[in-house]
Amino acid sequence: MPEETAVYDSIIDPTLGVATDSPAGPTALAERPRTLSGLRLGLLANIKRNAEEFLDEVGRLLAEQQGVAAVVARKKPDITSTAPEPILDDLRRGCDVVVVGVGDCGSCSASAVADGIILEQGGIPAVVVCTDAFTASADAMAGLRGAPGYRYLTVPHPMANLTPDGVRDRAAAAVPGIARMLTRGAVAAAS
Amino acid sequence: MTSPPAGPAGPPGGPVEQARAVIEYCYERGWTDGLPVVPATRPAVESFLEMTERAPDEIIGSAPHLGRSITVAQAAANAVMAGCQPEYFPVVLAAWEAVNLERSARGAWQSTSGPSPLIVVNGPVRGRLGINYQGGVFGPGFRANATIARAVGLIVRNGYGIRPHELEQATQGLPGRWSVCLGENEEMSPWEPFSVVGGVAPGVDAVSAILIRTCEYVDNRGTDSPEAVLTDFADTLARLGAYLGGGHSSGGLVLGPEHAQLFGRSGYSRADVQQWLFEHAVRDRADLVAAGKGGSGGEDSPSDPAQAGTPFPMMPSARDIPVLVAGAPNAAISMVFRPFGWAPWSGRSVPVAWPPAVAAMSERSESNGG
Repeated sequence: MPEETAVYDSIIDPTLGVATDSPAGPTALAERPRTLSGLRLGLLANIKRNAEEFLDEVGRLLAEQQGVAAVVARKKPDITSTAPEPILDDLRRGCDVVVVGVGDCGSCSASAVADGIILEQGGIPAVVVCTDAFTASADAMAGLRGAPGYRYLTVPHPMANLTPDGVRDRAAAAVPGIARMLTRGAVAAAS
Repeated sequence: MTSPPAGPAGPPGGPVEQARAVIEYCYERGWTDGLPVVPATRPAVESFLEMTERAPDEIIGSAPHLGRSITVAQAAANAVMAGCQPEYFPVVLAAWEAVNLERSARGAWQSTSGPSPLIVVNGPVRGRLGINYQGGVFGPGFRANATIARAVGLIVRNGYGIRPHELEQATQGLPGRWSVCLGENEEMSPWEPFSVVGGVAPGVDAVSAILIRTCEYVDNRGTDSPEAVLTDFADTLARLGAYLGGGHSSGGLVLGPEHAQLFGRSGYSRADVQQWLFEHAVRDRADLVAAGKGGSGGEDSPSDPAQAGTPFPMMPSARDIPVLVAGAPNAAISMVFRPFGWAPWSGRSVPVAWPPAVAAMSERSESNGG
């Protein structure tokens, strides 16, 4: 009813501030290579327990099984924020594909997805790894970054309490999915 | 008898039914914390903005990782919605600033820990706005206490877009999230106001904020010995469950007036209480190891073999045990609260900035004994 709409229009929307730093619009994913063989792999870890160990094992396995030529490992200092620009820049310059992880808390799952989307915007195919407890925050961040439906890889929760063997098993189970999502044909445009 | 006019553009029904429809509309838009909100209209927001000299479009909070910023006008809209009166708005702004001084605040709203600000108000503003600092200080029942705290929560929800089950990932949250704002009972405290510890001059209206994960009562009515009461506090402070690993736990006290006055009578300064608690809130390292919290075996961890047999301090330092006084002097009950994460309290209180006309008015009323 148009009359009702007019009344509701006089209510101020409390979610509207200033759009000074809103992220850019919809994100198309970077073009995927056909194979990982001979490529430079980036690993973007956060400071959560077992994140680096998991990614290191992923790197080792991708080198062994898929012929990745070099591994560049970086660690971001803050679980809430996206990776600092120098780290992102290193990855953009020094890598052909990147694995980001592990999103296993409220803040770091969302920021891992944001890192992945930023890398895709820079033309770098990326796979974000989150534990399956945090799909809601990962999806919410994808929507906020203009990439609703952005696909990431989930691994069973939790990650932090795994033994070194447990981490290696988790990595081994994740590697086929990571390889698929980094190569051609597997991932459609995000939105 | 005729029914009230529906107005040129009203939803159907009389004004009361229309008010209900508008409240429902706010629910449908996802703007509420689960309780009804007061719809924010331009005149309402303007009446709030008149209570501050800050520009409506001044940015008072940013979450760069979310691409969101919060303006003074947006804070005003959310304060209206929370049920604040216009004259609460300077306190809301000071509370927001105090919350943002907390190093842990930026990522906290998305955290599984689900923390909430403990907001503390000092100064004559408590009397002017009816901010409770006496019985039942943790609420509910007092409009200013309830709505100032709620406004901060709505700013986070609507301003940053951090909503539960989406970006907000609290595992359980805590009772009283976005509802704890208390006045300090300065009149019954043996010590200087908490805001003076936070660097603001005595008698100046000021707000302090500490992000907390919960509160736990300590009921000790059976002794006149300050050390006995301190022993009881130290036991709760040293609780294993509150230890996160990685160095130390955290804790503070909202003393009931009876406990505070016992310390005052016995010659304990606030710093003495803090020092005593720091020294006695310790655990056997074996207790932590038995609970699976022995850590890495490194120098800072309970399981460090070189320090086996020595007590493990659960608090970060004496200074980082905030102590304030609130409540009624009708039973010897106090509250231990648990600051979020590892970062100690910012240690800084924020003076409330009143526009000159309001400041002049309140000075007159205070000099008249009002």
